[in-house]
Amino acid sequence: MSKKLTIFSLFLVAALMMAACAAPQPAAQAPAEEAPMEETAADMSGKVVIASGSMIRIGGSFALTGPIPDPGLNIRHGAELAIDDLNAMGGLEGFMFELVAEDGACDGTQGTNVGNKFAADETIVAVTGGTCSGETFGLVPILLEARIPFVSPSATNPDITSADCDVCNRVALSDALQGATDADFVVNDLGLTKVAVVHDNSDYGKGLAEIFQSGVMELGAKVSSFEGVQVGDTDFRAMLARVGADGPQAVFFGGYSTEAGLIAQQMTETPGLEDTAFMSVDGAYTQQYLEAAGDASEGTYISFVSGADSEEMNEEFDAKYMEKYGVSPDDLGPFHSQSYDSVKLIAAAIAAVASVDDNGNLVIDREELISAIRSVDAFEGLTGTIKCDSIGECGAGGVQIFQVSEGDFNQVSGFGME
Amino acid sequence: MTSSPATVQAAGTEGRTSLRQFTRVLGAVILLFVIWRVTTVGLSEGYPASFWISQALNGLVLGGVYALVALGYTLVYGILFMINFAHGEVMMIGGITGYFALQFAQARGWMEGPWAVVVVALLLIMFIGMAASVLIGVTLERLAYRPLRQAPRLVPLISAIGASLFLQYSVLLIFGVSPHSYRKPALISGGLRLGDVFIPYTGAIIFVTSILLMLALYFIIQRTKLGRAMRAVAEDRSTASLMGVDVNAVIVVTFMLGSALAGAAGVMLGFHNTVVKFNSGFLPGLKAFTAAVLGGIGNIPGAMFGALLLGLIEAIGPSALGIPTEYKDVIAFSLLVLILIFRPTGLFGEVLSEKKA
Repeated sequence: MSKKLTIFSLFLVAALMMAACAAPQPAAQAPAEEAPMEETAADMSGKVVIASGSMIRIGGSFALTGPIPDPGLNIRHGAELAIDDLNAMGGLEGFMFELVAEDGACDGTQGTNVGNKFAADETIVAVTGGTCSGETFGLVPILLEARIPFVSPSATNPDITSADCDVCNRVALSDALQGATDADFVVNDLGLTKVAVVHDNSDYGKGLAEIFQSGVMELGAKVSSFEGVQVGDTDFRAMLARVGADGPQAVFFGGYSTEAGLIAQQMTETPGLEDTAFMSVDGAYTQQYLEAAGDASEGTYISFVSGADSEEMNEEFDAKYMEKYGVSPDDLGPFHSQSYDSVKLIAAAIAAVASVDDNGNLVIDREELISAIRSVDAFEGLTGTIKCDSIGECGAGGVQIFQVSEGDFNQVSGFGME
Repeated sequence: MTSSPATVQAAGTEGRTSLRQFTRVLGAVILLFVIWRVTTVGLSEGYPASFWISQALNGLVLGGVYALVALGYTLVYGILFMINFAHGEVMMIGGITGYFALQFAQARGWMEGPWAVVVVALLLIMFIGMAASVLIGVTLERLAYRPLRQAPRLVPLISAIGASLFLQYSVLLIFGVSPHSYRKPALISGGLRLGDVFIPYTGAIIFVTSILLMLALYFIIQRTKLGRAMRAVAEDRSTASLMGVDVNAVIVVTFMLGSALAGAAGVMLGFHNTVVKFNSGFLPGLKAFTAAVLGGIGNIPGAMFGALLLGLIEAIGPSALGIPTEYKDVIAFSLLVLILIFRPTGLFGEVLSEKKA
């Protein structure tokens, strides 16, 4: 009897583990059942018809729980402000915009759930999000099947956009650029020749770490170790002891705020790493990082994929943000401007293809909308002049590198410095 | 000793012998493989001794935390034969409460005061965390487990999982999803440096405190009247009640003891790893449960030993086997599976609960 219970408990443990660590895999089969229905719907009309008095509904997948809830909320706020502004300007042909916010949880499985929700809702015109790369990989196959275009404000994994996916777009810059810039900074600007690379096994963190690693090796520096941790870990001492045994000059971490902060902090307790430089990436460009790292954040480097901010527009945005949410946008996370632009970009594309029919309904052709996003050219956003290319890269700006001093990020290199 | 009873009965005595031999051979092969792997990796990597000492210390700290939580699993199992799956959350509540107590103390400047003030404040924070955990543990017992005492044994287990999720998401809704960061006072930040080995003060405190708490628990169980009552209830609940032992009171006290240890672990882990959030009790809880099973669930020295062993293996294992550290959990749970194959009742056997269904 007791043995049975033990065995049962073990299964339970296994099940719980799996539930907790569910790999962020895009579940390509998930929408298969719905697909035929969706297809016929598309064949018959392929159009979203919005009755007079109804809203133009834009879906939003935000990482409201998971490893980066504050940046997720920040991105949601950015999108809400964009909707407010659009409606304040009278909406489109008298139709108002509405944001349908869902929690993508920065996780592939949850991204799939959110995608299915949107795909099942015929009133969803387009989607802004997801926040994280893993979450967005969950959205991609479902939205592709359902012919719903999306624009991600912050998913930076290079593979999010490709020639095969016509609904995939983003206003954030690809990590192909960030990883290479970071590698160039570490090797050429800091003059280091031996670095350790750590990642958090997320699609985002691991992808970026691999790009950084190959960038560093191409520039002739040595990668002393390549280690993975898990999102949600809090004790990195065993991993760091091993990294420290090889005596690297810098540790690079691809991942999110809390883990980055704890690694920076625990490095100061690890023999061989007390004075080693630490560098992390846009996922850690947050107040949460500074808080988690404490004093250990001093002197660490963080890179960020920044927009080409127009000062005037941003001041206006920041003031509105303060008024509505009572905090400065930068306190929560870095991607609010991208999020605002993402929604505005979608609205601009909708405006380009929508028409009012004889019954007073607003008609939006899905296929036309998909190509309209790609043909956006010279759209003036908070992050600069946005132009989408043929694979859906709409980001403006460049990579900035910051160093923390006195508890604040100060730019030391990169975009906008020269 | 081996495999499931059904197979053994069907195969008869001969089958039992050959199966036993098979597991023995299998065990020897696995052991030899591990030894071979450890030796070759050890020779080729050439880490210095200080590296192994550092890793062992990391492991002992980890093991100390697991031990405190594992004792809660083992105590409850020993008396009620149920796995309290919400125990990790009891620990998390201690950590969260400790965080707010620390905020309170910091706001009053106690953390910058003379060292005596800081020590008293830290003890007070730990006590508050333990008290919160005790409160939650006792409430759990009263609301989620006691009404199910006569139900089949799977029912309270499922109730425990429900309680675990309830606690996690209540904390999420009340305190938010963002992690809370402990600020270590200057007195316990940093650590001792002995050559190339670094011992964080918080780590040393965890290890020493967990040993002291375990000794205290052992004393309570072996040397006090209350402990005798607990052992009596563990042995046979109905006979104990006939002898005048208040079974309900003993069960409540058992939950209090286990929860207090978990609360202490939660607060100390908060100071050590500096981050707590709604799900930070989940994985340590699972590991502690693993440790309890490893040592023999229901067995108190078994839980302590199993936890320290698990901590050590998790810290040293990946380096010794020459695999990436991200597989530390794989090593920990593989160890559990292996132990259960070769010693289904755990390393030390199930002492407290000799007589059960």
